Amino acid sequence: MNLLGKKKRAQSWFDERFGISGIVKFLREKKIPQHKHSLWYYTGSAIMLFFVIQVITGFMLVFYYNPTLAEANKSVGRIMTEIPMGWIIRSIHSWSSSFMIAFVFIHLLSIWITKAYRKPRELTWMSGVFLLCVTLAFGFTGYLLPWDDLSLSATKVGTDIPRSIPIVGVWVTKLLRGGEDVTGDTLTRFFGFHVCILPVFIFILLAVHVYLIQKQGMSLPLAVESKKEKIQELPFWPNFVYRESVVWLILLGILFTVAIFLPPSLDKSADLMAPAPEGIRPEWYFLFLFQALKIFPAKILFINGDTFIVILILVEFLLFFFLPFLDNKPAEMKGKFITFLAYVTIVYAVVMTVWSLL
Amino acid sequence: MKLKYSLFTRRQFLNGLFGGWLGALMVSFLYPVIKFVFPPTREPDQVILPFLDFKDMKPNSVKVFSWGSKPGFVKKNKNGSYWAFVAVCTHLDCNVTYIPEQRKFFCACHDGWYDENGTNIGGPPPRPLRRLILIIEGEDLIIKREGVK
Repeated sequence: MNLLGKKKRAQSWFDERFGISGIVKFLREKKIPQHKHSLWYYTGSAIMLFFVIQVITGFMLVFYYNPTLAEANKSVGRIMTEIPMGWIIRSIHSWSSSFMIAFVFIHLLSIWITKAYRKPRELTWMSGVFLLCVTLAFGFTGYLLPWDDLSLSATKVGTDIPRSIPIVGVWVTKLLRGGEDVTGDTLTRFFGFHVCILPVFIFILLAVHVYLIQKQGMSLPLAVESKKEKIQELPFWPNFVYRESVVWLILLGILFTVAIFLPPSLDKSADLMAPAPEGIRPEWYFLFLFQALKIFPAKILFINGDTFIVILILVEFLLFFFLPFLDNKPAEMKGKFITFLAYVTIVYAVVMTVWSLL
Repeated sequence: MKLKYSLFTRRQFLNGLFGGWLGALMVSFLYPVIKFVFPPTREPDQVILPFLDFKDMKPNSVKVFSWGSKPGFVKKNKNGSYWAFVAVCTHLDCNVTYIPEQRKFFCACHDGWYDENGTNIGGPPPRPLRRLILIIEGEDLIIKREGVK
């Protein structure tokens, strides 16, 4: 028997037990529609690229990082100065997180504007909103781990915000901090969130999200869908994957370039007793919120300014989460208004972010 | 009295019993989990510091001390009296600083301002800085929470 025959036999042996041929067949036959909004189809796999980089570099950093009050800052310093290639690994981890979040925002807005969440894709959208929350939680918990003045103040503020939620708020803050105040316990806890708890959630949610996308196929924008003529399609394998890999290579090039030339800084170890340093700010993706907290007055209509903001955020989040159900007449006036709101959100976020940097 | 018809079937009764039992079991699992994730942290009732460390403070200046895991300020006023504050902003918990030239407390996180008495005067802070009771007893500086005897 020749080698080819052996390979075939091994394949069929495996398939008999694993049943992989269905998946292979599915991927062979999967088609990606081609139209003028096809570019947005690439954003999902771009997020996946940065996510995989986060996982790999995260595994590496955890070999040397110490999540304790006395050692955290020192161990990051050691990664940056002593460990061979340590600085570039941390730099990639830090930059890739920003890139990942940037692409999450682009992905989300493209889906909002093209209304890809229309029936039957409501659950895909909702799992995506959860993925957004988990991704932001990764960013927020990761920001504390270097344990310098900047990250300490950002965490104090960030974990104090839920306190304004009626009834459960105090407990949420305590749960996040591991006590009344931000201490060494908070650091260890955040490390636990960052490397144990959030990864479990993100893998489950990703599995659901990706499964739903495969099950329902790529969504078509309204304008394309309503046309009668047949839409051009591209086979997923290998044509679309080749195109995606071109995008990946370009993104990797940009990522490595910025990671090499602009490595993240590391300040001296945080002092729990020291006043907050001037010019503190969170990561760029929380700046719009930071600015809102800054400009809101102490009292609005008899309630605290930050309670007002928190309630506003919760309401907005719920509207956002249920957007596919609210946007039930996509082609009509209501649908157009909801698309318009996406642009309003973009302008609002950009204006607040730029303002916070002034 | 015997009912003519039973209110639920035997199956429903047993399912309810079983479900209730499962629920109670879950609660008994959850209780220690919830207890575990909230560690007992209480702020101190009082701290005792050597007064010697604070004797030579200039008027209109502050000195930091540890109030549990938060910073506290001992402030010497212009008339030579001493006050104690929790040096944490009432807005979103950042540590504040004292600017003697302006006689104001300042929080850098969201530009919060307090006057020299700790009253909130500008920016987002909703309340004055928290005052602590300060007693000088011989060699000791005793700082207490309000309401502690």
